[in-house]
Amino acid sequence: MILQTKDLTKIYRVGKEEVPALRGVNFELDVGDFVVINGPSGSGKTTFLNLIACIDKPTSGEVFIEGQPTSQLSEGQLAELRKRKIGLVFQTFNLIPVLSAFENVEYPLLLLGLSRAERRRRVMALLEEVGLKDLANRRPDELSGGQRQRVAIARALVTDPKLVLADEPTANLDSETGKQVMAIMRRLNEEHHVAFLVVTHDPVVTQYAQRTVKIRDGQLFDGGRTNGA
Amino acid sequence: MELKLLIPLRNLLRNRRRTLLSLAIIALGTAMIYAVRGYVDESMLNIRAGTVRQFGNFQIASPLLWAEKTENFQYLIPPERVSQIAEILRTIPEVTAYTAQLNLSGLAITERKTKVVRATALEPQNRALDYNDLVERGSGLAPADRATVLIGRTLAEELQLQPGSFFTLTTTTVDGAYNVGPLQVAGIYTLNNAIVERQLIFMPLGYGQTLLDTPGVTKIIVKITNIDDTDRVAALVQRKLTEAGLDFEVRTWEQLAEFYRQIRGFFNVLFGFLTIAVSVLVFFIVLQVLTLSFLERTREVGTIRAIGTKRYQVFLMFFMESVFLGLLGSLIGIAGGWLAGQGFNALGIGWTPPGAIEPVPVQLRLELGNALWPFLISVMATAFSALYPALHSARLNVVEALASK
Repeated sequence: MILQTKDLTKIYRVGKEEVPALRGVNFELDVGDFVVINGPSGSGKTTFLNLIACIDKPTSGEVFIEGQPTSQLSEGQLAELRKRKIGLVFQTFNLIPVLSAFENVEYPLLLLGLSRAERRRRVMALLEEVGLKDLANRRPDELSGGQRQRVAIARALVTDPKLVLADEPTANLDSETGKQVMAIMRRLNEEHHVAFLVVTHDPVVTQYAQRTVKIRDGQLFDGGRTNGA
Repeated sequence: MELKLLIPLRNLLRNRRRTLLSLAIIALGTAMIYAVRGYVDESMLNIRAGTVRQFGNFQIASPLLWAEKTENFQYLIPPERVSQIAEILRTIPEVTAYTAQLNLSGLAITERKTKVVRATALEPQNRALDYNDLVERGSGLAPADRATVLIGRTLAEELQLQPGSFFTLTTTTVDGAYNVGPLQVAGIYTLNNAIVERQLIFMPLGYGQTLLDTPGVTKIIVKITNIDDTDRVAALVQRKLTEAGLDFEVRTWEQLAEFYRQIRGFFNVLFGFLTIAVSVLVFFIVLQVLTLSFLERTREVGTIRAIGTKRYQVFLMFFMESVFLGLLGSLIGIAGGWLAGQGFNALGIGWTPPGAIEPVPVQLRLELGNALWPFLISVMATAFSALYPALHSARLNVVEALASK
């Protein structure tokens, strides 16, 4: 098992009021899974994703990554865990604007301290997989939305993570481009045997899922397994 | 180039207008400190050269003279001691010249006017002091001269004397008797200092001794090859004097020239104040620019933190950006300051310092060695200005940073 959450709770304080965003969520994800968490705005999708991405701390409960509990890890240990085991894809792509597509994908490898030759090999292989080899030297503002999201996917996968988390990856794309991006993610999931967890409010995205989980009012409702698109 | 360096460098080009504003402020600050350093250095070197011309590199005299116990001429050095000191000085290769000097004062009298003067009596054959080089009309003192003097331009004007004119000098001997001597003006010197030119006259040592009725001298003036060796050679001479059992004390030009120390202190305070003022100005302006620039990248910080960048790495990224900005701005400042300084020097602008008679050229010493300090100050001021915004960025909450617009 790559990911497990136990009784995960997150409560935000707004003034004197307590607003529960997650209510005792239990969830498991296996190696190579492609799971979509689907729910409306404000249902707790992004909060859940932030907690399992280890960029936020739960009010109670625990997140296990490859069986390792994360709540007691320091900031530095969490950063180390994120860079080695988790890839992230954002709704707004979040590429570094001053770097080329190649350099954006190369950036996480720099954090790992890999040699220049190894970095080049891995980056070019992934850019080829997402169909952007010829656009490697373009900056984000010279790429379309779909191309930017493909760069972001390559960046998420370049470190060979165990888990890729995607937050509304198609929300800023037209429907056709969104489908292409989801297809690429699904293909990479199969080829790299890396688990994908996608949170979205877009019902089209659920077509690509092996398993769909509904989220509502901070609680998960498992929709069962499908074959995916 | 490594991404670690590439990202800060590229971020500098992100908002060019803002970067140019920062560079202009840093460059201007650097150029200002460089120019003032150049002016202070040039001035101090000129003052130092003038002071050494006036005092020699060092002087040897009785401790009584340095203690200002000058009553009854007890401090005078007798001729046999002068010979012994001269013998010691001849053994030191750095010594290029020395002269015995006798100081006296009296009244310079012409048919029309009387003025109080101070006389320095020296050995014209021993060129330890360059007073002959200061002569602008007439001639200098020659070894064979006896009753001849050099007088300052201001005194010459006040007593209406020309080269070849005569006047009378009245003084008192070491025993307190009244004495009078006729003197002929050999030449008129200028130091561009009205006070000195009004009071100080130069005459041959023999004539001064006759006027005071003594074979003794006040002190011995020593000149050496290199001004920077003054302290070392002075210490060597002092040691040799002590070893020879001679109770005399060596004082360097810097110990004697109190005004030099005062001017140096004044310039140091002035330069320090200016450096602080410019640094503070650069600090706050660059702080404002960088804070704005870093704030605009909050979501980027959230992204790179989320994918595993550690806090210190975020800090370094922003800090490096300010260091590059400081390095570039300072280099432009030095280059610009050097060019502007050369232009300023070529204009030959002058000013008349207090006490001077004629304007002196204001020159900037633009040696690269003088550029080091302003360069470092500007780089440090810029780097310090990045500390707070860089720390703030590094400590951002990742979730909040990702949610920012």
